[in-house]
Amino acid sequence: MPKIDPETQALYDEINGMIEKFKEDQKAKADCTLADKCGDMSDVTKIRFSSKKILKGHINKVNSVHFAGDSRHCVTGSLDGKLIIWDTWTANKVQIIPLRSAWVMTVAFSPSGNFVACGGMDNACTVYDVNNRDASGVAKMVRELVGYEGFLSSCRFLDDSHLITGSGDMKICHWDLEKGVKTMDFNGHAGDIAGLSLSPDMQTYITGSVDKTAKLWDVREQGHKQMFFGHDMDVSSVCYHPNGYGFASCSEDQTARLYDLRSDQQIGLYAPPQKNTGFTSCALSTSGRYLMCGGIEGMVHSWDTMKQKHTGTLSGHENRITCISLCPNGMCLASTSWDQQVRLWL
Amino acid sequence: MNSEADKTQATNATLAMSNAEKHPAVESTSSLPTSPPATATAATESCAPAAISPPAPAQATTQTSVPTPAPEALANGNSNSNIQEVVATTSSGSAAATTAEGGATVNGAGGVVTSAAAATPPPSAKTVNVRDTTTSAGVSSSSASKSSGLLTVNSNHHHHHHHQQSSSSSTSSQQQATPSTVVMQSSSQHQRSNKNEDAPNILVYKKMETIIEKMQAESTGVAVRTVKAFMSKVPSVFTGADLVAWILKNFDVEDVTEALHFAHLLSSHGYIFPIDDHALTVRNDGTFYRFQTPYFWPSNCWEPENTDYALQKMFSRKWEFIFMQAESQSKVAKKRDKLERKVLDSQERAFWDVHRPMPGCVNTTEIDIKKAYRRGGSSHGTGSSGASVAKNPIEQLSRIIALRKQKLERRTIKVSKAAEALVAYYDQYNEFDYFITSPELPNPWQTDSTEMWDTEKNSKEVPVRRVKRWAFSLRELLNDAIGRDQFTKFLEKEYSGENLKFWESVQEMKALPQSEIKEAIHKIWQEFLAPDAPCPVNVDSKSVELAREAVNSPNGPNRWCFDVAASHVYHLMKSDSYSRYLRSDMYKDYLNCSRKKIKSIPNLFGVKR
Repeated sequence: MPKIDPETQALYDEINGMIEKFKEDQKAKADCTLADKCGDMSDVTKIRFSSKKILKGHINKVNSVHFAGDSRHCVTGSLDGKLIIWDTWTANKVQIIPLRSAWVMTVAFSPSGNFVACGGMDNACTVYDVNNRDASGVAKMVRELVGYEGFLSSCRFLDDSHLITGSGDMKICHWDLEKGVKTMDFNGHAGDIAGLSLSPDMQTYITGSVDKTAKLWDVREQGHKQMFFGHDMDVSSVCYHPNGYGFASCSEDQTARLYDLRSDQQIGLYAPPQKNTGFTSCALSTSGRYLMCGGIEGMVHSWDTMKQKHTGTLSGHENRITCISLCPNGMCLASTSWDQQVRLWL
Repeated sequence: MNSEADKTQATNATLAMSNAEKHPAVESTSSLPTSPPATATAATESCAPAAISPPAPAQATTQTSVPTPAPEALANGNSNSNIQEVVATTSSGSAAATTAEGGATVNGAGGVVTSAAAATPPPSAKTVNVRDTTTSAGVSSSSASKSSGLLTVNSNHHHHHHHQQSSSSSTSSQQQATPSTVVMQSSSQHQRSNKNEDAPNILVYKKMETIIEKMQAESTGVAVRTVKAFMSKVPSVFTGADLVAWILKNFDVEDVTEALHFAHLLSSHGYIFPIDDHALTVRNDGTFYRFQTPYFWPSNCWEPENTDYALQKMFSRKWEFIFMQAESQSKVAKKRDKLERKVLDSQERAFWDVHRPMPGCVNTTEIDIKKAYRRGGSSHGTGSSGASVAKNPIEQLSRIIALRKQKLERRTIKVSKAAEALVAYYDQYNEFDYFITSPELPNPWQTDSTEMWDTEKNSKEVPVRRVKRWAFSLRELLNDAIGRDQFTKFLEKEYSGENLKFWESVQEMKALPQSEIKEAIHKIWQEFLAPDAPCPVNVDSKSVELAREAVNSPNGPNRWCFDVAASHVYHLMKSDSYSRYLRSDMYKDYLNCSRKKIKSIPNLFGVKR
């Protein structure tokens, strides 16, 4: 550690003073807990989902899944170097897209279902047009977005022509797919970006990062709007609350948390009954009452967000769950795992 | 353990070969098969002309051309180890030719090479090596290029011992004894030994190892025996039933299932393994299991590279041959314990079962690839470590302070209010949450009927819940195609349809490609905002002025130029028309109409509040 000059020290002190003040503020605002407030609500049942279908086809770890806006099709990306678009109802493969790089870490379906994007250790994001085929009959690659200095860890479509990505080089990038240009590019966190979730109105988004924080951003601006602390380890995934005023996050520290944007603090803490996991991915049900997290021990845990009770686990996967995705109508949960399976729970 | 040292010689052919082959991979400076071992194998097989790469001729004239391969290896910078092995194999070949002419050393260079490696120094020479370790690597390598057989052989060994210093002596003898992977592991382990502490599962491993040590205790542990089968012996094994019984006796476990699960966990981490199955699991029966040697425990933090594994596969065809030769050599040199070798073989195999499990088996040693990347496990790409963090601390801190100030100034609501909002939202939406209320239309995944998706397309039958949802907010109404349709009709009746039209065309315009933006903006301006517009929208003059400025801006209009006006109109619709729509007969009729059509579906789960 180099010597700290007085000026810097003064700034540090100021920051620390402010942090203290935040804590006081937060305490002052925390006039009750969520659990107190919801104490009189009736309990919800244990999560009823069971593993109804197994989508078979990948021959290596499956790293990511995302549903299209129609709640029927989903895309999965695996280290076998393929994206597979599934019709979850028939469990058939609609399309198989061979990738240039097998190291895919994240996939995204555009809400319209017209495009899929993927990226990973190739430090690039590739966008495919699902409805157009190239000469060999596979989906046409429409854009290859390059310029990253770290692996791509998350991407989401705002619409068919706009994409936001978060990557291992701590950057958040906005792309105009129509023109194929980067419209924004800025340092988002002090660590790899791990997860990204768009608000229901597509105006803001939340990112989670290895720097243990989550941040709120406006899609039109570069600076973050709010920052959320609490996790002790990497925040691996975030999920916007459907009401747009809060979000859930999950972390390797074996907890999931619920934050409220307007009160600017954590209002819920969720832990598994046994400390033998670590969470990789989270999702909230349509009403925000159930929170689900995929764990590295191969279970999906669920909680009642209001009363902060554990409401069961979904077991079936034999290895780390890498990603879960709830379809937009809230009826079907897809999970991907290192055991090469994609499971549908409903 | 002392008998293992002897095996060293027996398997040295494989050792040296794999070692040299391995090094390019480990050091990642040279990846080309310039490595003489490739030719060595080729020669060993004595029937593979295709595999003979450039250094081959040099190998063919073994004794004299020792320096030839060396420069190639030297080109790799610090990889003197390569040279040593090269020289070791070749020059000790000469030694071997004189001393141990036994076995299969007939077919020219190939024969020489194998016998050379196989007949590497007797135990005495090995002790010399250990002393030699003090001489610097540079010296040994430079001398290696010229010197006589014995010295170079030493340097070869010297290299090994160099690595082994990091591990305990007992494991180091094991290291030498086991074929193929051993040496490469030793070098990779050497590289990674300093990372041991932050291995992800190290705490678990330590606990498991304590237990395993207990199990292996002479008198109180699990009974390990050698089972005599009809023709052969199965050395050092125990049965699954014994193991489970031991666990039940020694640990506070409730029942057999739990004990079995516990045993399974130990097995899946590679501490015990079934002797004739690749699936690492434990069954409570007479299946035989064996303890893994501490050297192969996962806590040693190996991350075996694919090349190691591939190498083994690559040679698998030749393996037996290599083995046969090595074995015959060893029989000449010393008697070899067949049973011990069996054990070692199985332990090595189990090692690979842990690190490269067969499909469908649990893999416990793997870490998240993102993590590996971040920890700097990958040479290319930097992850988070590479990005610039501190440009100017003062500047940065000031920026942080500014952000913090912003945070302090923000008005926040009380948690009670936030909680209330959540509860309210839940109350409103719980009947749309599939987790809580069963859906009106059958779940298509469960009932094999696509009705749910089909009805979305035709507007004749709209479920009542969906219509109810329109009342939640204008956004809900506009998000639903049928809802939007209805609202448009309502507005038309009220003669205020232009508001929605304007808002819609602005949204559409924003999604257009850049090339069409300008035209679209112009059209919108002309239709809704211009002084003589055919259907003027009801917007305050300030917003119109802002829009005019944006439209006529010197840089050309951008797609956000109507945002202020559009949000004004949206607000207007929300506060005025929307609430009137909800109160209108039109909406009520529609709601009642769909209510009538829907047959009530019993609440299957009875979880509604």
